[in-house]
Amino acid sequence: MGGDRRGFDSDGILKGIGGSFMKEIALSVQDLQKTFHPGLFEASIEVLKGLSFEVASGEIFGFLGPNGAGKTTTIKAITEIVYPDAGDIIICGLPHTSLEAKRRLGFMTESPYFYRHLTGREFLRFCGELLALDRSDLGDRIARVLGEVGMEGRADRTMGTYSKGMLQRVALAQALLGDPELLILDEPMSGLDPVGRRDVRDIILARAAAGVTIFFSTHIIPDVEMICDRVAMIVDGRVRAIGAVSEMMSEQAVSYEATFVGAMPSDLQTPLEAHHVASGVSWVRVATENRDQLIRELGEHGAQVVSLNPVRTTLEDLLMRHYEETGS
Amino acid sequence: MRAMRAIAANTFREAIRDRILYLFVGFAVVMVVSSKLFGMLTVGDETKIIKDIGLAAMQFFSMLIAVMMSMILISREVDNRTVFNILAKPVRRWQFILGKYLGLVTIVGANLLLITVVLMLTVLVVTGELDLMLCFAGAMTMLEMMVLAAFATLFAVLTRPILGSLMTLAVFVVGHLSADLWLLTRQIPGALTRAVIAIVYYLLPNLERFNFRTEVVHDLSISGAAVGWAVVYAIAFIIVVLFLANLRFRGKDLK
Repeated sequence: MGGDRRGFDSDGILKGIGGSFMKEIALSVQDLQKTFHPGLFEASIEVLKGLSFEVASGEIFGFLGPNGAGKTTTIKAITEIVYPDAGDIIICGLPHTSLEAKRRLGFMTESPYFYRHLTGREFLRFCGELLALDRSDLGDRIARVLGEVGMEGRADRTMGTYSKGMLQRVALAQALLGDPELLILDEPMSGLDPVGRRDVRDIILARAAAGVTIFFSTHIIPDVEMICDRVAMIVDGRVRAIGAVSEMMSEQAVSYEATFVGAMPSDLQTPLEAHHVASGVSWVRVATENRDQLIRELGEHGAQVVSLNPVRTTLEDLLMRHYEETGS
Repeated sequence: MRAMRAIAANTFREAIRDRILYLFVGFAVVMVVSSKLFGMLTVGDETKIIKDIGLAAMQFFSMLIAVMMSMILISREVDNRTVFNILAKPVRRWQFILGKYLGLVTIVGANLLLITVVLMLTVLVVTGELDLMLCFAGAMTMLEMMVLAAFATLFAVLTRPILGSLMTLAVFVVGHLSADLWLLTRQIPGALTRAVIAIVYYLLPNLERFNFRTEVVHDLSISGAAVGWAVVYAIAFIIVVLFLANLRFRGKDLK
């Protein structure tokens, strides 16, 4: 799995784009394996096949993959909801099974599963008791996180009356309640309206600015591109790529797009990936290796080139490539 | 300890906000109060009939509450995945099991207390006397329900809710018949059958050990040793059964 740990060297140094800088590891997952055995007459399902990655302290780490890739199972293993068959999980330098590790962890599940009979405030008080938070300031703490997620005015309604967006906000509030060092969010923006998505994004960014490590699972690529420092792509139970988001997006320019004035030359020899002509302007796309040939030919035809832009690989392209490679 | 208390308190709160509980409690109270009617319609000592029917209703409805609530409160927590939120916090799985059990026992205890008070008031109205032995009968029923709730907890983590309810119900029925079955073995010739009945007898609790209804209704003397043994017997069963429940839940993947 060495290739999967592209962002780190052997000493746990996170390599940024502009060089290397020392970082503590907030979450380390090494060679995680898990197979589910559904029943006597059903085939076993190997969900995690030696998954490894590390998340540095203070970074926003995206965990990207399609449905069924093993994202939620990984998170369940980290939070001790399922037991891995093999592998090690370390949270803030502690085994993930230790209570101290769990005290440092804030977790928000994929779908908000809550008690319909409790009000939002009662639920947070219950969570505060589970976290063994100081009772003397628990009320203030609850009020603060409710304010942070924009639920202060609706906290005294039973959760059975909440919309999905409101449940997501309460879910985030309970994850923030213990002021965790590591925040694990499983699809935190799914099911939210644009305002909700923006609010959640702002909360994540604010917590990250305060030094909290965010581990953020999603299959929504723009979310990752927008807020994550680094990303791991998981396909079929394995990490297929890992690195800085900007690095992954810019590293692989696969083609170039050129725009020039005039009609498309009929005897153009350069192989084109795509072309289009409209309003006296032509647009072509060529593979990177054909860029120079295209410029030379357009020059020979006296075409006035308006623009020449690299087409960079997006996370979506990368992810799609990995799907195709694994047959997912 | 704090987490366990919080889980127990949440379980209790969930139950008292559930309408099903009030349905059972309502039936139980109506049954106890209407025992006066049965007393009037039946030949015999009215007070004894009221006590007999009242104690039987107390036991039956407490059993129903224990069986139904255990399945609702424990299985629902796993099925609705609210348990994820608990286990991701600094809470051990055994704390979850014990917390749920204590919450369940508190619910059964609160209802039992209410039914006992209603029965005592009914008897007070009829006889003009406060029969404190009904409290003793209530306490022994509570002991029986604590054993049954431990089994319900075990079955809740072991199997699906409906099957778990049926299995708990079976423990209740067999538990009240096991002593008779044991006596029956003397009349059965086959060694294998005798062995099977012996296994059932030792594996399942003999719930008749907690039944002091005849003594309470007919004002008979109660052996201190029998009460002491019943307490020890209940504690032993509760510990073993909850240990098994914890053992099963500890290694269980939750999906």
